Amino acid sequence: MRSPGSLKQEFLKKWIMGFQRCSSSKKSMSVLDRKKAIKLSADIAMASARKGTTCWSRALIASASKDGSDKHLVEQILGPESERLILMKKFSTGALVCSKRIRSKKILKRSCGIRRTRKCAPQAALASSIAKRLVRKRTQVLKSLIPGGEFMNEVSLIEETLDYIISLRAQVDVMRSLAIASELVNHN
Amino acid sequence: MEPKARTTETRSNGTTSDGDEAVALESLQFTDEIHRLISAPSTDNASSFTALLELPAPQAVELLHSPESAKLIAAPAPNVEDIKGSFHFPSNTGLIERAARFSVFAGDSNNNNNKTGSAETTSNNSSQNPQKEVKSEPAETESCQPLVSDPTVEKRSIKRKDREKKVKGSTKKSKTAANESSEDAEKLPYVHVRARRGQATDSHSLAERARREKINARMKLLQELVPGCNKISGTALVLDEIINHVQSLQRQVEFLSMRLAAVNPRIDFNLDSIFTAESGSLMDGNFPSMVMPLMWPEVQVNGNRQQYQQQWHFDAIQQPIWQHCTRIK
Repeated sequence: MRSPGSLKQEFLKKWIMGFQRCSSSKKSMSVLDRKKAIKLSADIAMASARKGTTCWSRALIASASKDGSDKHLVEQILGPESERLILMKKFSTGALVCSKRIRSKKILKRSCGIRRTRKCAPQAALASSIAKRLVRKRTQVLKSLIPGGEFMNEVSLIEETLDYIISLRAQVDVMRSLAIASELVNHN
Repeated sequence: MEPKARTTETRSNGTTSDGDEAVALESLQFTDEIHRLISAPSTDNASSFTALLELPAPQAVELLHSPESAKLIAAPAPNVEDIKGSFHFPSNTGLIERAARFSVFAGDSNNNNNKTGSAETTSNNSSQNPQKEVKSEPAETESCQPLVSDPTVEKRSIKRKDREKKVKGSTKKSKTAANESSEDAEKLPYVHVRARRGQATDSHSLAERARREKINARMKLLQELVPGCNKISGTALVLDEIINHVQSLQRQVEFLSMRLAAVNPRIDFNLDSIFTAESGSLMDGNFPSMVMPLMWPEVQVNGNRQQYQQQWHFDAIQQPIWQHCTRIK
């Protein structure tokens, strides 16, 4: 099990690195810009802490490096160019493969659904179909929440959610303690 | 060897009709014989029975003395490999089966697995034990690394768990016997799935069911992770909770980044000063003392810079950044 302490340490390291690069480029920024930069560097640091093992991290980094302005930040945090290229490749191929797989699965389901007939009581069928509809709605919402979740099947979606929640928690803890500490420093 | 074989035959035949107490008595007598056999030198190849008994004897003794299902499953596991390594299967396979059957029946009353026929149990015993051995490892690795697991190994372990569940839950012997005999013939790398009573056995539904089991296992992990999900039953509600949790975490990140942006006129965080300052103010009690210990449990509160660097294990490349950060003040 990955220790949460080391995860947080790594995250903080990379985040501070992102700060330095960010502040060196621009001199004066508004609050919103700063907030965006902070959040962005935090997200990228979090994603790079996973080093491309999880889908959501790759998706996050890929979406961040799509905009031209943030690209350099991504590069600096990630380090050598090759790593970024590998991650991009993985993500792009993964997305293509996943979308194709999803399309073929839908065709298969449609063809199989015609054959299968449900033989249970109408009330049971109603209840089960309602439940299924609810679950499907929820999974759609979850897919929209998790970066890169559109392309995953249910199993990997749940795994990604697990990892994402752990990383988010670590991120929130680090940010909160840093915020409190720096507020204390400023008030003293 | 003949009289001994005959006595074991009669013993095993006798135990099939006796109750538990009689079985216990017989088992005691059997153990005496086993001990005698063990003590007797058995080096010749012709005495295959003693060679047979020599190795499984400690196992059989264990089995007989504790007729619990756990022992039946756990105890033979380490011995089976030795046996398989040094066994030359003689023509007395019938004897092996009978001996195994006897030891299996010794634990019959308590063992759920023995609902199936004896023939299946013998084949099961030999095939189950290494599988259970292997199963414990993937189960461990699964718990250690839930996300970075080999899908085939997982599939196998989960399906073996399924098989256990279904063996215990099955009621009709004939159906399970038929299923077992058809599916036990498959080798280990293939996936074993047992059809429940009254369910279709075509590959589509089997695969779907396997998928369902996988998803349910992951959902259980998620339920443990998200606070307050343990009591909720039903996929939709659990998913609701998970969605709420993820959304709240994301919102917290937003708010905290806004807070951090508001605190500093420039984005630079002088960690050195932060940590020297906190040593004085942490004792006030205003500061949520939970937060810092949670984050860096190993860092001492009065850490000076050197200690802090040690904790971080900075390599030489990172250090210039650290010093640069302090100089920005």
